[in-house]
Amino acid sequence: MPTIESERSPLAGAVLRSLVVAAIALSRAPLFAHDMWIEPTTFSPEPGQIVGVRLRVGHDLLGDPLPRDPALLNQFVVEDAAGRKPVVGRNGADPAGFLRVAMPGLLVIGYRSNPSAVELAAEKFNQYVKEEGLEAVAALRARRNQTGARAHEIFSRCAKSLVLSGSPSEAQGDRVLGFTLELVAERNPYATRAGEDLPVRLTYENRPLAGALVVAMNRLNPSEKLTARTGNDGRVRFRLRPGGMWLVKAVHMVPAPAGANAEWASFWASLTFELRTSNAAGN
Amino acid sequence: MFARISGVLRSASRRRWLARPALCAAAVALLCGAAVRAHEIGTTRVSVLFQGGRTYDVEIVTDATALVEKLEASAGRSSPADTPPARLQSLLTGFDEKFRQRVKIVFDASEVRPAIAYSVTPGIDAASAAVAAIRLTGQIPPGARHFTWTYAWTFASYAMTVRSAASENPATEWLEGGQSSAPFALTSPAQPVDRLGIAWRYLALGFTHIMPNGLDHVLFVLGIYLLSGRARSVLWQVSAFTVAHSITLGLSMYGVVAVSPRIVEPLIALSIAYVAIENIFLSELKSWRVALVFAFGLLHGMGFAGALKELGLPRSEFVTALLTFNLGVEAGQLAVIGAAFILVGWHCGNRAWYRSRIVLPVSTLIACTAVYWTIQRLSL
Repeated sequence: MPTIESERSPLAGAVLRSLVVAAIALSRAPLFAHDMWIEPTTFSPEPGQIVGVRLRVGHDLLGDPLPRDPALLNQFVVEDAAGRKPVVGRNGADPAGFLRVAMPGLLVIGYRSNPSAVELAAEKFNQYVKEEGLEAVAALRARRNQTGARAHEIFSRCAKSLVLSGSPSEAQGDRVLGFTLELVAERNPYATRAGEDLPVRLTYENRPLAGALVVAMNRLNPSEKLTARTGNDGRVRFRLRPGGMWLVKAVHMVPAPAGANAEWASFWASLTFELRTSNAAGN
Repeated sequence: MFARISGVLRSASRRRWLARPALCAAAVALLCGAAVRAHEIGTTRVSVLFQGGRTYDVEIVTDATALVEKLEASAGRSSPADTPPARLQSLLTGFDEKFRQRVKIVFDASEVRPAIAYSVTPGIDAASAAVAAIRLTGQIPPGARHFTWTYAWTFASYAMTVRSAASENPATEWLEGGQSSAPFALTSPAQPVDRLGIAWRYLALGFTHIMPNGLDHVLFVLGIYLLSGRARSVLWQVSAFTVAHSITLGLSMYGVVAVSPRIVEPLIALSIAYVAIENIFLSELKSWRVALVFAFGLLHGMGFAGALKELGLPRSEFVTALLTFNLGVEAGQLAVIGAAFILVGWHCGNRAWYRSRIVLPVSTLIACTAVYWTIQRLSL
């Protein structure tokens, strides 16, 4: 099972270096292939607290707000020990939704979008396919002599976020929401201790997806990414440090279904959570 | 995410969707059979105004915190959380040169350097983010023909609305962050006012607002027609309706009357239901019916005004356009009555079964449709 670990370095220096790299990344931010993630107003709410659920689209965790758009929204839910509830909100508003923390425990927030259509020039599509580790798509395009052709694609978002109210425990866990492409943390990241791995499983249509590129990045150091390919069981393991907000992401692309008026259908899975400093400090 | 979004939208289209439930229903039915297509639209908006062909005024409205975070990152710094609006404004002002690096205003092939003013206001409530309003102003270079805009401080899609004195309707273009707009033509040769052309255009717009675009108004007019086969009944009702809707159309267009479409549109649907239901219980004209049709006409006039405002009126020919639009609406209504008379009234109006086989089932159908619209419009 692949495991990638970030380099140890003095935090301040690493942050400064990474921000400079982030600056370069921003200046080269492409017109395509932006990530989308959930960024709650807090990852550690008190029981009874109202949490704003912000949707963000961007690059290297520098994001723009995505207001609630009924045309795009397919599922927007929160699941806790009591069951699944919709994340309510006002159309056009940012934060796109709100939830009330009913009881202490781990909350799993999920946002699934309807497909959007996009047309990309061959060069841009090829570059983005390479960046997202979709070599199988590039190979299929080459076999079909389509490498030089414009690409028509439909893309859907499958974003999740884990929020913890109260004290962490190993008994709490991420939940499968049934998204087409889904990242599932197989341990509670809030209970993951220093030096321990966080196993994450990637599923496509509820089955493990092998050979997919999974990327993890931290809010303080987004350009220094951890990357790993999923094994046959769809799993990767990341040893995360430092503390703070983390984004784990993966993209999967398949030939678009007939009648979609596109050649490719992509799915963008993301998972955000906060690694608490007390957990990360001992690293 | 993603690349080019093509297409220039005209502002007239959006509310017409809301006001045309039949078309909406048809569109929903079509969409159900296909994947829904929409882009990820952020909170950034850009408005461009050209004044007198001499100055430009661009306003960017965007999430202040998200913008400052990107500026901080590009300067190699991290942004502190929960920065108050006043501090965000001061940070933005300090990042002026950096901000300019990813914003481009180009006239023909020459980039210009605008004056930029930054202001940040708190969100509308505690949960909302602070809003940055950034104004870029300057002189249009003499002889410039085209304007091009590029803004690369957002990752989401945004709308750029361009208005100029030469253009009556604003043009809206959807752009991605970093994508350059299509060149916007600044100069159009001055057109002599063509009163006859405007009259004809607005006459046609008024007519098509009823036939075929205004199914709700068509059903109302049919409801009026179906009450009784007598010409006197139709004439009284149509006259009352015409006088009434002309009054509110005019008053609304001059800004004397202003009622929200959220109130007017459900009431219009309710008026159709009322007229159709009354047809089931009434077979001859009563004076209160004329009074009610007059009252309903006042409502429909406000609906016509909403549509006409979306279409826009040329300032120089305001009265011509208003009158001819109203005439077009009249012509549309008369066409509906004429068609109903030719199709059923002429042959069957005097038959014993006319009421039981035509009036009652058609009125019931109209009433059901209108009740459905009422509920639908109340939920919008």
